Amino acid sequence: MAEEQAQRVHELPDDALAAIDYCYEQGWTDGLPVVPPEASRVAAMLAMEGRPPETVIATHPATNIELTLHAAAVNAVMAGALPEYFPVVVAAFEAMDKEPFNFHGSTASTGGSAPLLIVSGPLVDEIGMNAGVNLFGPGNRANATIGRAVRLIILNVFRMVPGISDKSTQGHPGKYSFCIAERADVNPWPGLNEEQGFGPDISCVTVFAGAGFCNVENHGGNTPEAILTTIADAMANYGCLSSGQSVVVLSPEHVNIIAGTGWSKADAQSFLYAAAHRSVDAMQAIGKFSPREHAFAGREDCHRGLSAEDILITVGGGDAGGHSAFIPSWSRTRGSIMQSQAIGVCIDC
Amino acid sequence: MQLIDPTVSLATDAKVRAPALTDLAGKTIGLLSNNKVNADVLLTLTADLFVGKYGGKVAKMRYKTNASAPAPAETLTNLSHEVDYLITAAGD
Repeated sequence: MAEEQAQRVHELPDDALAAIDYCYEQGWTDGLPVVPPEASRVAAMLAMEGRPPETVIATHPATNIELTLHAAAVNAVMAGALPEYFPVVVAAFEAMDKEPFNFHGSTASTGGSAPLLIVSGPLVDEIGMNAGVNLFGPGNRANATIGRAVRLIILNVFRMVPGISDKSTQGHPGKYSFCIAERADVNPWPGLNEEQGFGPDISCVTVFAGAGFCNVENHGGNTPEAILTTIADAMANYGCLSSGQSVVVLSPEHVNIIAGTGWSKADAQSFLYAAAHRSVDAMQAIGKFSPREHAFAGREDCHRGLSAEDILITVGGGDAGGHSAFIPSWSRTRGSIMQSQAIGVCIDC
Repeated sequence: MQLIDPTVSLATDAKVRAPALTDLAGKTIGLLSNNKVNADVLLTLTADLFVGKYGGKVAKMRYKTNASAPAPAETLTNLSHEVDYLITAAGD
């Protein structure tokens, strides 16, 4: 398939604007203009990989469509990514290719999730990712184009097309791009790369099938309990309480309050798990509890997730502001389990 | 300017259809639910229609453990030995 792919060349006049229009006409975009996937740029992207272009890095579990390094590189060019970003895109799909992530379900479902990429480790600074101010917003090429490359691959390679194979009821803006970096300089705890066992010198990407972003504001609380109770309240709202996993991104102000009194990350996770819950009766009253459907069955209370370890905590954002984030999981139960992958490291070699 | 196509060819589907039943009379019906709220209701009512028209019996309903993932191969293999045909539904 890769050899066939390599031969699918479109000859166009040397007119960049016309090429952008051509990409629209072919249906290759996410709605925004793309960088035309010109051959030399694709070659430069592929040069970042030591493996052959035909190497398959992910397979769609329902259609068996294969993602090769070559196809990933073409779409990364279109997203506007620089070659040095490419290993992150590759690692993200290697992570999503692991069965527990449930790639098909999370990209096809009415739930409308998007893969949230969290990059951790020295690569964050090496490729100039943004872990600080306006973390989830625009302005940084690496964050924006890595996330966008993921979406273009989902659209162009795996053909998860809105309204056809992507049945998102509403979706969310992260479906254009949803990629952040962990902020190491103010993180009082080990980075996600170390937590995942990759070591401090190896970077990793964690991929989470995330629903819409929830801002958690608290400027008045000055204790761990106050900050974490606010976050737990967001995690336990009826609209997104489920047995699924969670991502919590603590702002520098908030993590300083929490860790400044000696709390470990495990302490924070345990507090959040204990506090983010509703009673079975309450869930039944609003029509969100079915003994057969839910992993909550047999439990006295419906907590967010099934254990404290189901809550990933990371650190990011600007120095000023009592704004953290909670990212709910896709699916009403545990449809997807987040996965991590080392970046630029061949685990099997 | 040479643009490289960002799409790929569809995968070759190696799956084959099971031979069609010549009739439904007296057959054993299997039910496979996606485990969402109303799937069992939909399946049971559908099976009742088949039993009313063709007779036969309905085997114990089976459930997927993850609504959005394929049924485990073991579940389908076991059902293939137990039933003559299978009705599945994505209730919600």
